[in-house]
Amino acid sequence: MSLLAQTQPMYWLPPDYSTHGWQIDQLINWMHVFMAVLFVGWGAFFTQCLVKYRYRRNPTALYEPIKAKASKVVEAAVVVIEVVLLVAFAIPVLAEYKNDPPKPEDNPFEVHVVAQQFAWNIHYPGPDGKFGKRNPKLVSDANSNPLGLDRDGDPDAKDDIVGNNEMHLPVGRPIIVKLTSKDVIHSFSVPMLRVKQDTVPGMEIPVWFTVKEGTSSDAIRETMIRTVAVPAAGANPRDFVLWCTNNIAVEDIKGSDGTVIVGKGREPSAEHLEALQKAGIGEIRVAPRHPVEIHCTQLCGITHYKMRGFVILMPPDEFETWYAEQAAGGDEFIEE
Amino acid sequence: MSGGHHHDHGGGHHGHEPALHGHHHEPGFIGKYLFSVDHKVIGVQYTVTALVFLLVGFSMMLIMRWQLARPGEAVPLVGSLLSQLGITHAQTKALTNEGYNMLGAMHGTIMVFLGVVPLAVGGFGNYVMPLQIGAKDMAFPKLNMMSYWVYLSGGIVMMASFWANGGAAQSGWTSYPPLANTALSGQTWWLVGMVLLITSSLLGSVNFIVTIMHLRAKGLSMWRLPFFVWAQFVTAFLLLLAFPPLEAAGVMQLMDRVAGTSFFMPEGLIVSDKPTAWTGGGSPLLWQHLFWFLAHPEVYVLILPAMGIVGEIIANNTRKPLWGYTTLVYSIIFLGFMSFIVWAHHMYMTGMGTALSTFFQATTMIISVPSVIILTCFIISLYGARIRYNTPMLFALAFLPMFAIGGLTGLPLGLAASDIHLHDTYYVIGHFHYVVAPGTIIALFAGIYYWFPKVTGRRMSEFLGKLHFWPTLIGMNMVFGPMFFVGIVGVQRRLWTQTDYQLGQMTQYWVVFSSVGAAVLGLGQLPFIWNFFSSIFAGRKAEQNAWEATTLEWAAAPSPPPHGNFLADPVVVCGPYEYSVPGSPKDYCPQCQTSEA
Ligand code: HEM
Ligand SMILES: [Cu+2]
Ligand SMILES: [Cu+2]
Repeated sequence: MSLLAQTQPMYWLPPDYSTHGWQIDQLINWMHVFMAVLFVGWGAFFTQCLVKYRYRRNPTALYEPIKAKASKVVEAAVVVIEVVLLVAFAIPVLAEYKNDPPKPEDNPFEVHVVAQQFAWNIHYPGPDGKFGKRNPKLVSDANSNPLGLDRDGDPDAKDDIVGNNEMHLPVGRPIIVKLTSKDVIHSFSVPMLRVKQDTVPGMEIPVWFTVKEGTSSDAIRETMIRTVAVPAAGANPRDFVLWCTNNIAVEDIKGSDGTVIVGKGREPSAEHLEALQKAGIGEIRVAPRHPVEIHCTQLCGITHYKMRGFVILMPPDEFETWYAEQAAGGDEFIEE
Repeated sequence: MSGGHHHDHGGGHHGHEPALHGHHHEPGFIGKYLFSVDHKVIGVQYTVTALVFLLVGFSMMLIMRWQLARPGEAVPLVGSLLSQLGITHAQTKALTNEGYNMLGAMHGTIMVFLGVVPLAVGGFGNYVMPLQIGAKDMAFPKLNMMSYWVYLSGGIVMMASFWANGGAAQSGWTSYPPLANTALSGQTWWLVGMVLLITSSLLGSVNFIVTIMHLRAKGLSMWRLPFFVWAQFVTAFLLLLAFPPLEAAGVMQLMDRVAGTSFFMPEGLIVSDKPTAWTGGGSPLLWQHLFWFLAHPEVYVLILPAMGIVGEIIANNTRKPLWGYTTLVYSIIFLGFMSFIVWAHHMYMTGMGTALSTFFQATTMIISVPSVIILTCFIISLYGARIRYNTPMLFALAFLPMFAIGGLTGLPLGLAASDIHLHDTYYVIGHFHYVVAPGTIIALFAGIYYWFPKVTGRRMSEFLGKLHFWPTLIGMNMVFGPMFFVGIVGVQRRLWTQTDYQLGQMTQYWVVFSSVGAAVLGLGQLPFIWNFFSSIFAGRKAEQNAWEATTLEWAAAPSPPPHGNFLADPVVVCGPYEYSVPGSPKDYCPQCQTSEA
């Protein structure tokens, strides 16, 4: 399968950059061990019976029911293990995830997300730390006011920062995300941070998490470099285009005469193909532009599949700089 | 089939005879095959209709699987045709986003409500259950007929919705508001279709319950009922109790859409940059509660009849009594009860508090225990057996590990903490398909091979049966197995393509593999279709008791059974699975003594 060769296959849980995620992973892994043991146990007995009690091999079937102590043991074991998984793992993990909001002294950073078909609006309070009121009557994508902030009348809203699909976050600091939706139900999911929460119109639901210290999107990108084969001239460019989507070249890709075909940080696409083929380049190295993605996991309409956002993880100081720049650089930025 | 004259009218040992038996004239063609009140004809009508719908639902999925493996490329064969319905793009002939959502929503709806339930309950239940309890017909034959026709109308409305303005429903088989409320008119058709389908099931379920309670043959106590009848009995209660809330919810959503009510609509919605007309004050989550209050029991409606079928076939082909019959019966009753208090495990991500989720996690773990017991009983039944590997048995045996995978993978979804990562990913799709496709569908195939000789008087080809079995088993695992791995990586479901996402790109190889599996599965059905039709006319003639079985449909009724089912009233003398009784001349002792083959 040519696809296998070109992508970097992933087989199990994706990497996790949150501080709480290991507990979820541990639960998932233990459950699969438990499931596998049960399945193999059943399966062994099952296959043994299938072979041993074939029609020809066994002249008479057993009428009296066997006393199967084993079944009682299996059932009791299942109950015990499930109780342990539930009481010792599932309930405490969930309680920690849900019932322990970061305390003010931990200096949490709060950000609001308003989902809409088919984008994530990210709302930061700006330097004053206060969120402006969102007034449904003022909402207008057409006037670049997707959140309905009253920039003139509401002092809290004046310095608010509004982003689109790109959520910049500092690592190592508790994050509180308050989620809601303008229209239908969406679901805010960041698999690589083990976070998922539906966004329900008419409700504001918080989630909180902390990103592991020392990570950043730039560092994660380095771990996700893949090679993509350049198809021969005339061959179907399908796979090349697919595997380059949302990826960027990790180095300048140069022709033999030294001209840059795809610059470092740019997304290779079909239009580069001819030049790449002419230069005899067989494969290129790319990596995700923003490796940590936001998925919408609730069917939300026609282009639900495109409702993709990014979490951009930054070291705290870098984040502060970025934040200050955004606040200074005008009241709003809309990327992409 | 012979006419309706020979059955005697003295019988009614339980009081009332069904109204049907009051008249004596031979029904004409229309009365006999079309608007028949005979449970067997209705059973066959249900079976054939449901099989057609299963094929339709599967074909939709083949188109979707093409798109998933080859995103944005022209759909082969039917690409041009479908562009007239907006399912494919007018120029590129590739599946449109709307088309994908339509096919997805309709696949789910068709498979569940028009395929599996009608086949398992309307088809097998209707045909086999009265025969197994020694009844001449259902308690309310006219209600039975009505149930079929209401079902068929529901199906026609569903299919017709593809021609509605904007096409068929696109909000998933779950139809969550506000999305469903704001959707185009296909959603209204969907709701009308659902109301019809629910009504049909309600009519059917009342009939099943009354029939099993009142029309059992003499000597057939509840504890002598075949396991299949028990399964149908519990299923009927589930349908009766779970469907009304959804029917109400369906009507409420319909009112929200057409009459301006606001049951499910909160205040201040802004859709496509415009405020909506709903006054608000409603709750979108209310729908989810009502929907899942039905839809969780519904999964047991999908699985219990399958377990019933597997139980019959295992007992018959191990040539020994089903191990733990009483335990099995108590387990399914318990399952039935419990299935009403686990629904919110589908809603962990809606922002539910930990107290509530603890409750639903606990009930979900509890409900897994009877499933484990049922599976264990079936497997222990094989111990000391004398296994005949015929086609029905192969399918019945395959059900066991497949259902095990489906059931076990429900556990990580049942715990809210692990569900944080897995909810609404392909893991879920893998999980429930292992229950309903390699699980239930495989069991339904087993049932078709098993009861075909009873219905037609002819056997299906064993060779073709095996040629159907292996690609089906392999194809199903190729389709659904990879979904666990795609899901565990974190790829969400209901995507037109996953290749825009990093995690999706890194698991796309599985998607391609899975689509190849779907093709294998599709090709594997050809021997079945050929076998099914050719055997009706040219199959080897079957004796009355083609499988040397103990239960009444084989022991007491001719193949095919005449109108009125039995030549003489059967009198039951023992339990359902007296196989290999020591000292008995044959290796099976039928439940009744009259009318031996
Ligand atoms: C046997 C062949 C089948 C195949 C290849 C198949 C494949 C699929 C796939 C790939 C999806 C996910 C689509 C998506 O998320 O975009 C899906 C969804 C679904 N399937 Fe199947 N399926 C099969 C049989 C069944 C059966 C027998 C049932 C039920 C009895 C069923 C019920 C559903 C439901 C309820 C959904 C969810 C629909 C929704 O998202 O609203 N499927 N199927
Ligand atoms: Cu969305
Ligand atoms: Cu459920």
